[in-house]
Amino acid sequence: MLVGEIKQTDEELKEAAGAGNLKALTRPTILGMLAAREAAADAGLLENMEGTGFISANTVGGMGHTEQYCLDYLDVEKEGDFMEYIGTHNCGDSTERIADYLNIKEYVTTINTACSSSANAIMLGARLIKNGIVQRVIAGGTDSLTRFTLNGFNSLMILSKEQCKPFDENRMGLNLGEGAGFVVLESEEAAKQRGAKVYSELRGFANTCDAYHQTASSPEGYGASNAMNKALKSAGLTADDIDYVNLHGTATKMNDLSEGNAIETVFGDQVPDVSSTKGFTGHTLGAAGGIEAVFSNLSISENILFPNLNFTEQMEELNFSPLSDVKEGAEVNNVLSNSFGFGGNNSALLFSKV
Amino acid sequence: MNNGLCISAHCRIKDNSAALNGETVFTLEEASFTQFIKALYRDQKFEYSKFFKMDNLSKLGFAAAEILLSNADDKIMGEEVGVVLANANASLDTDVKHQESIADAKNYFPSPSVFVYTLPNIVIGEICIKHKFTGENACLISKSFDSDQLFEYTMNLFNNGKVSSCLIGWVDCYLGEYDAALFFITRNNDKKSNFESERLKSIYQNCS
Repeated sequence: MLVGEIKQTDEELKEAAGAGNLKALTRPTILGMLAAREAAADAGLLENMEGTGFISANTVGGMGHTEQYCLDYLDVEKEGDFMEYIGTHNCGDSTERIADYLNIKEYVTTINTACSSSANAIMLGARLIKNGIVQRVIAGGTDSLTRFTLNGFNSLMILSKEQCKPFDENRMGLNLGEGAGFVVLESEEAAKQRGAKVYSELRGFANTCDAYHQTASSPEGYGASNAMNKALKSAGLTADDIDYVNLHGTATKMNDLSEGNAIETVFGDQVPDVSSTKGFTGHTLGAAGGIEAVFSNLSISENILFPNLNFTEQMEELNFSPLSDVKEGAEVNNVLSNSFGFGGNNSALLFSKV
Repeated sequence: MNNGLCISAHCRIKDNSAALNGETVFTLEEASFTQFIKALYRDQKFEYSKFFKMDNLSKLGFAAAEILLSNADDKIMGEEVGVVLANANASLDTDVKHQESIADAKNYFPSPSVFVYTLPNIVIGEICIKHKFTGENACLISKSFDSDQLFEYTMNLFNNGKVSSCLIGWVDCYLGEYDAALFFITRNNDKKSNFESERLKSIYQNCS
């Protein structure tokens, strides 16, 4: 089975995070520690976390250890180090541990809305700042591969045996992945005050549902187009202003059709550069929105658009193709980043050059 | 205080009886929840085959919403309708059934069609799917019917321009015990049914 696995073991990652002596760390926790620390360090916050909240998305929780130890937990006679992991099962555990590791004492919370989770974490962070509850947040998500998710997605028959081909006529499903991605969001005032390095402005965002089915998204992508349109509206921009869309693009038959139709609803025949970056990472579920927010910001600050790997043939139903080669020196002012969850929980973030 | 909002309809389903605005629309003596809700479906001619796939909590909330909205204005814009429901037992009624299906390590068979209902907000989803409501929604958990909580949350949605009408209330169901009390809140200066926490509470207490 092809997956976007991070090659290091838990022990190696713990060592890299300088957390070798901490007990009962799950893989999402360690991945999240590394990514959130990197974000905090890049923003020059590591020494002083005062006024900084932490919002982390996660879908798998401590399932990796639970599936390893669940029968041991049930055996009352059995004792051992494995018992340390019993409290790590819930999705909030990784958030709390990462917050402790970074010495964050402000608002800390966890979001799980399946594959749109970390986009929603970023939205919540923005709303907390807007409402003056915190000055800044580290927001994003973390998830790791487990047998549970592999088997679950396999039973839905949406895993590809080959490398995933988002937005390709011959796409065969998704590859799962693992990782973590966080951004530091800050009020304009706070950023100016401390002379922070600014990658972009989170100018708009929206979350919608499409009221179509408990699990499937609507074929015409009603919720998805609604999310993009509402994000544009909240930013005071129109579709013409968008230079690039980082697609959700999981490479399943249904997602790409639904999202593709939504793109045509929003952009008509003037579709900007679009690509799904899941060919690089696999679908990292609760981390996807955070990782793709990082890619979107790099596109803006480095004037580079990342290609949609493995693309060869345009989808029959659509009139556009994704970007299949890297595009350097691009003028990237406004980027939409889409994240769509199970059951039609759709989010769109709009980042703009400052 | 008049906030320009009113309770334009309310529906109660409990003790094998369903009422709209305080008037009984259907009763079935001596019946289990399963028998009652199926008889209610037939009597009220819901004609929605997906109903039979739903779990008890969703059937209860769905039926209450159907009755509540039976006289509602046809011009409601689905994208401006919010849904705010609360209950005490989340989705435990179905969680227990799902757990029983996997309890025996040698003989287990979890069903995706049961598993999908092991979340308390699926009842909101079912109502939204039927009526094409895509406004803000929330599922709150509290020990008992809390009119202040529902009132405050709903007022916040109206005050922030998130909704132009809102379906709110209580839908709770666990091991055969059930209670649904739904209210449809709209913009209207109807003094008799002005939207207030006290009024929600009194309707809830008096319509039992």
